[in-house]
Amino acid sequence: MNTKAPHPKAHHAQGEDIDHAEHVDTGIMSRRWIYIGSAVLLVAILVTGIIAYSGVHKTNEANNKANELRSALAAAGLPQPDKDLIVRTLGTDGGAVCEDPGQALRNGADRVGLANGAAGPGQRPIIGSARIVEAERIVLQTYCPDKVDDFDDEISDLKFDDVVKQ
Amino acid sequence: MASMDVPAGRVATGKRTAAHAGPKLNAISWLALALMTTSSVASLRAAPTMAVYGLACVFLYLIPALVFLLPTSLVSAELASGWSGGVYRWVAEGLSKPLGFLAVWCQFAMTIFYYPSLLAYVASTFAYVIDPSLATHGLYTAIVIITLYWLGVFVSARGTKTVAGLSSMGLIIGTLIPGLILVVLGFVFLGQGNPSAAPMDSDHILPPWTGLASLVLIVNNFLSYSGMEMNAVHVSSLKKPATEFPKAMFTAMGLVLLIFILPALAISWVVPSSSLSLTAGVMQAFDAFFAYFNVDWLTPVLGIMLIAASLGGMLTWLAGPSKGLLTVAREEGYLPPFLQRLNKHGVQQNILITQGVVTTGIALLYAFIPDVSSAYWIFSVITTQVYLIVYLLMFVAAMRLRRTKPDHPRGFRVPALNVVCIVGLLASAAALVIGFVPPSQFGSGSLWSYLVIVGGGLFIVGLLVPYLFYKFRKPHWKQPDTEWKAGVGTSTEGEAQA
Repeated sequence: MNTKAPHPKAHHAQGEDIDHAEHVDTGIMSRRWIYIGSAVLLVAILVTGIIAYSGVHKTNEANNKANELRSALAAAGLPQPDKDLIVRTLGTDGGAVCEDPGQALRNGADRVGLANGAAGPGQRPIIGSARIVEAERIVLQTYCPDKVDDFDDEISDLKFDDVVKQ
Repeated sequence: MASMDVPAGRVATGKRTAAHAGPKLNAISWLALALMTTSSVASLRAAPTMAVYGLACVFLYLIPALVFLLPTSLVSAELASGWSGGVYRWVAEGLSKPLGFLAVWCQFAMTIFYYPSLLAYVASTFAYVIDPSLATHGLYTAIVIITLYWLGVFVSARGTKTVAGLSSMGLIIGTLIPGLILVVLGFVFLGQGNPSAAPMDSDHILPPWTGLASLVLIVNNFLSYSGMEMNAVHVSSLKKPATEFPKAMFTAMGLVLLIFILPALAISWVVPSSSLSLTAGVMQAFDAFFAYFNVDWLTPVLGIMLIAASLGGMLTWLAGPSKGLLTVAREEGYLPPFLQRLNKHGVQQNILITQGVVTTGIALLYAFIPDVSSAYWIFSVITTQVYLIVYLLMFVAAMRLRRTKPDHPRGFRVPALNVVCIVGLLASAAALVIGFVPPSQFGSGSLWSYLVIVGGGLFIVGLLVPYLFYKFRKPHWKQPDTEWKAGVGTSTEGEAQA
């Protein structure tokens, strides 16, 4: 009989291929579950976000506050945004702008954010425009005057320059 | 995540190595690499900040693109099309192995302080959507940072292909789609006959010149493009690295420019700069934008999309520099064997875990100690200074390699390489010098104390620590593995020759 025994190396290679294929399958499965898990997580927080998000509502009080803010901005020589825009973003209580402006974490985040145009690890502080704080201070005076002192404390040691063209 | 002391690139069976199975198992497309690179560098996070400058934001992005983005992209495209292994390999081949280690260390070290600030931004964005008061809670911030960071480590430990998939999705969902929506709405606004909120005339092309502050603004914007070279460490995961990597780089370069410029312009058309200022924050600015169109419900959707983009970007930073560090650690024994261990996916899990422990510590300090959070901005100055060392070394190495190894096969050659490198080198050096100018946050503090803090940080993180690793390296820490080296070193070259 002239039958050829399988070459040991060929046998080994075949076994290796089976292992290899199994690993590929496992890898694809594992990756698929990570993708599915990420998608589910994203949808879950999206739904949570949409449900929890409470936009501000147009009320007489919000309109009055917006008018008051526009007057204050005009008096300070700053451009006045559209009244509806102010109503929708600041409502009656100033929204997130009035949320603990002097608190350390907020302070820290604001200082990290006073930066160049990088969105990645190239983010780096700059010498910013005073307008950034001028307008915010007026918002606080209008909507939450009790927070102005905290805000002043936060910005008292910042220095600015006119890097934005009026 | 069981770890094994196996050669890098070896897979679960232990029978195949990077040279054979690695590229096939973990192969990614050039488009995925382009999206990964874009995700590492660009997102909409900076759009409201830059919209304040109106039309001048185009100048503030284009000039840095010419002197920094273009040189870094072109040079890394040439180097990656000739040598695999990323910045370590380039600098090691062009200058010396210790300097190669310095380059990859600087690239790695700068990310450690980046994650807490990135994830704190994610935490505050999510808080804005569900309950803004949460943003000021240390415990909430710490939980978000630590949970997301370790989830990122878990995902990164599954291999390059998983990271590529998720970061690409993050970019598409979190940056490209919302960016397109912003731009379309911006054009709709103008199409309705509304005047642009920011003047778009020739007087506003340039930002006002106020001397040093303007110089700081312009030069610091060079760093907006830092990270373009980082994903070159995955070049051996491409099927045809020599031709596909340059293609990925050019695509990423175009996408990065579009993502940075167009949404910022669109916001400046709709939302007056005073309003951007008074809303004090990224999310409030988007809120004001959507409020104009009466689609306020898009604000929470955009917030979640931005979170997806940030997490996708974080994955690329977790997977990239640590992989480069692993290469040098194994080849030269610069890191102890514990840090060289790989998991069954061939990922440097112990480096990631060690980095995670440090990041967790920093995150806890950031979240709970007011002095740390208030002064955290200083770390972004120090780490960007450290990162600039990478670019200085990369440009010098590229010029030297062209001179010493002109015939080494490269899939792409930069025309007038020396000129391009000198422009990049000068831009990096200028950014390094400007990094010593105190920003707004330093207020009226003493210039000398600022120089000592930034210079000291640069010296410790960028020079002293890598020097100590180098000095205390042990010959027996080397894990010579010819197949690993071959896998890293030849795939690009072979293809370039072909």
